This record gives sequence, structure tokens and C-alpha cells, in this order.
Amino acid sequence: MPTMTTTPKTPLRTVAGTQDDPRELFLRWQRDGDAGARDVLVHRFMPLARSLARRYGRSSEPFEDLLQVASLGLLKALDRYDTDRGHSFASFAVPTILGEMRRYFRDSGWAVHVPRGAQERALKVRDARERLANERGRAPTVNQLAEYLELDTEDVIDALQALQSYETLSLDAPRPGADGDLISYGDAMGEDDERFELVELDATVTAVLRHIAPRERLILHMRFVDDLTQTEIAERVGISQMQVSRLLRRSLEQLRTLTQAAS
Amino acid sequence: MAEIPNVCLSLPNRPENVLVVRQALTGVAECVGLDALETNDLNTAVTEACNNVVLHAYDGGEGPLEVDVYALPDALAVLVRDHGRGITPPAESDGEELGTGLGLPVIAALSRDVELKDRAGGGTEVRMEFATAKAAELELGGGAVQERRYIEPLDETANTVALQLAPNALVRAVLPRVLSALAARAHFSIDRISDVQIVADVLAAKSVSSISGSHLDVGVTVAPRNLELRLGPLQTGHGESLLSAAADGMAPVIERLTDERYRVERADSAETLALCLVERGQ
Repeated sequence: MPTMTTTPKTPLRTVAGTQDDPRELFLRWQRDGDAGARDVLVHRFMPLARSLARRYGRSSEPFEDLLQVASLGLLKALDRYDTDRGHSFASFAVPTILGEMRRYFRDSGWAVHVPRGAQERALKVRDARERLANERGRAPTVNQLAEYLELDTEDVIDALQALQSYETLSLDAPRPGADGDLISYGDAMGEDDERFELVELDATVTAVLRHIAPRERLILHMRFVDDLTQTEIAERVGISQMQVSRLLRRSLEQLRTLTQAAS
Repeated sequence: MAEIPNVCLSLPNRPENVLVVRQALTGVAECVGLDALETNDLNTAVTEACNNVVLHAYDGGEGPLEVDVYALPDALAVLVRDHGRGITPPAESDGEELGTGLGLPVIAALSRDVELKDRAGGGTEVRMEFATAKAAELELGGGAVQERRYIEPLDETANTVALQLAPNALVRAVLPRVLSALAARAHFSIDRISDVQIVADVLAAKSVSSISGSHLDVGVTVAPRNLELRLGPLQTGHGESLLSAAADGMAPVIERLTDERYRVERADSAETLALCLVERGQ
């Protein structure tokens, strides 16, 4: 990643008289190689790069990294802008700078991998969720998490969405439960299928429930028969609440598919 | 080809509602298989168009922000519309007024095509196209949206979304995201947001085969710690079966998660399912 200075090396007064005429500055940079003129242009248009980095890179990567990429795009635009074509510099620079950011994302595998920034944020949100739930005895709201982590609420919502879908990230390594290890749950469930049936179900559902994995069945039972909250279930089963949420959604989906196939 | 929108969203032009639009679009993007980069382009461009409606459409007042998504054979088209005073595109400046007037250049750089129209009768429409071959795989619904709905919020603590969805895979991709974004804003706990997603999953899975019109109409009214949902028009008898155990055993899910706050409302030829989720904790 190239580093660059955003402060003009040459004091502004040495280009006094020309600093309000971008055309003159472009000529001095592009024709004469006057670095001082370029520094003035960089200084002037850096807010544009900053604004585009903020708009385009929302919540994906650390802002400083994005700003570096956008600044590089700005430098390219300063080199290539043709003052004779009649377009404003901004209208020329916007696609150049966005193009630079798109290329950076594409090259860094951002399109196919979970971006590093989003990954780190998801982990932070997950940990904060656990901490706040433990301290207060109930699950926090998105606003509380956002406040606690000094993020905006949309970042938190994105992170929660990510935690729901990143199956490949081992964000949810099993941890010891409140009163025992995971294996004991599996063992207990194998013995006693009836306990885990949902109430008032017809024969089809009862039949297909047997195809749902024991831990998922236990979680369904805890949620829909015992009416425990997801946080309470998470504590008892020894997994995170996000994982409970994911397992619930997935096993209900499975249940729907199986019932449809059976009827 | 007559263009029939797959998704129509109408909501008050508040800054926080841009997030709701983004969540809906992320669902659409996921459904047509856009990668993260394409999704980011789509969301960034549409956000610019929406921000314009939030900031400028109603001179500081409130009015509808409308977003339509169309599936074209080789692209997604997104229309962002308002009923306000209309805007004239900013004149080419020398780039000094940074931060304002950047919206259109950003949209132009990220979309295949953009068109800005003043609408007859007031308001502005921005139409954007994003190339993707996969959009064609979305089946369209049965026909055009007959009547656009907008739910006027009672006051500033309440929020509303009218969502009209073609009965296809989009419902499952869009409904849970939109509802959880609204629940998050309504101070629901993380646990409860997940319950909202589960209810949305069930409704999405079951409603597609139960609707009686061309589109699924979902009206959502959100107040602090309270989310009300009306879903229709359903074929006669389908409201009950959507809830009943005989359908697929999901009755305990909706019963439990709504604390039994649900009912089927019957009109002449169709039914509406109404339900309510409340944040229970203090």
C-alpha cells in the first residue's frame, strides 16, 4: 500500500495567485512536473477522496486502509485529467477513485471472502453480546451494542447478519456449558425421543422430527415448549446465542422441507 | 416487455429508513447471486439516490420514499422515487462543492445506466440499472402492482413500511432482513430480533403458495418495542392454514413467538393475516 502525504510540502503562499485556478495548477503539474502544484491539488481534492471512501467502503474495511486506496485513485486522476475536455475534475475523478477501490476489493479477494474488517467487527459484536447478556442477565438491543462498541447501528445489524450466515468461519467454537459438556446432551437425547416433541403436532410432524438432529430437537423443545429465551438456551447448551438462532432457523427450515416431502 | 416490479417498498423518507432499503436490496442481491463487490456497488448507488430523497425531496418535511426493483433479462433495475418538489440535476461545477452533488456521479460510476426524471405531478425518479445475468432467473409474479400503498406513520416514534413482493424466492430473501432491521430500530433485544426472523421465515415459506393476488402485500407498523405485521391478500381459508398445525406443524412457532397475538381478518374474497411481536424484557 503506497503511503502519501496529504499536506502540501510547499507552503501555499508560493503558489499564491494560482491556487484558485485549478486549470493553472493542473498545467503546472502535468506539463512542468511542479510537485508543489500537485500538493495544492491533492490538498484541495482530498475531501472528495475521503467522501468516496466513506460512501463506498461502508463497514467493510478499516477506514484508513480505504482512504489510502482512494488517495491513490486521486493521484491517478490528477495525472490523467484533461483540462481541455470541459468536464469538471470531480466528475472525472469520481469514477477513477471508485474504480481504484473496486480494483482493490477485487484483487484482495474481498468479493469472495468475508472482508477482514467485517470479520473483526462480527467477532467484536458477538463477544460484546455475550458480555452484556452476562452483566445484565438479558440479551442487549442493537442500540445498546452499538453504544457499547461505539459503532453505528447499521454496522451492528450487518455484523449480526454476518454471524447468521458465515457458516465457514469458526466463530462458534463449542464452549463448556453451565453444567456439563456437550456430549452429555447428545447422550441424554438418544434415550428419550418423546421428550423433545413439540406440543400438539400431527403425526407427520412427529414422524419427521425424528430426522432432526438431537441437539436441534432439544433446542426446538427448549424454545417452543419450555419457552426459554435464546440466551437461556445458549447457556444451557453451551453454545452462543447466535448459534442457537442459526440452529433454530435451520432446523425449522428442515422441518418444513421434510413435512412437505412427507405430505 | 411489460415491466413488472419484483419488489416495491414505500416508507417515510427518514435517514434510518435508508438502512431498511439497503437490507431489502442486500436480500435481492443475495437472491440473484451478486457477489460482495456487486452488492456493494448496488447498495452504494441506491443509498445515494435514497439520501437525496431523505435530504431534499420534501423541504424538511416527511413523505414517501419509494423503491422498486425490476428483474430484466440481463440486469436489475432499481427505481427510487419521491413525490416532492423534484430536483434539477446539479450543474457541472468545477468540483469545489464537494460532498453535495456527488450522488449522481457516484451512481453513474457504479451502475450500467442511470436516468433522472422529473415526474408528471411532482417528484423525481432515479432509474438505475445494474448488469447481472442472473436477474432473469427470478420468476415474475402474476401481474402489475395494482395500487401502491404507503402507510402514514402516526407520529415520529412510529415507523411504517409497505412492502409489495412478487411471490417468488425474493420473499424469503427480503422479508426476514427488512423485519429484523425494523425490529432493531424498535429496541428489540437480539434474542427477539432472531424470533422476528423465525416468524418471517415461516411466513415467507408458507405465504407464497397462499396469496390470492399478484403480489404479497406486507404492511409493517413499528413503534418502540412493538412490531405489527399485516400480510395478504391470502386465498380464503389460507390464513388459518398458514397458522394451523395441520399445514406443517408450525403453529406452535407463531403462537409462541407472537404470544398468541395473531388473527385472520376476512374480507369478501381474501384474507389478511395480522400479527404482533412485542419486546417483553424491560
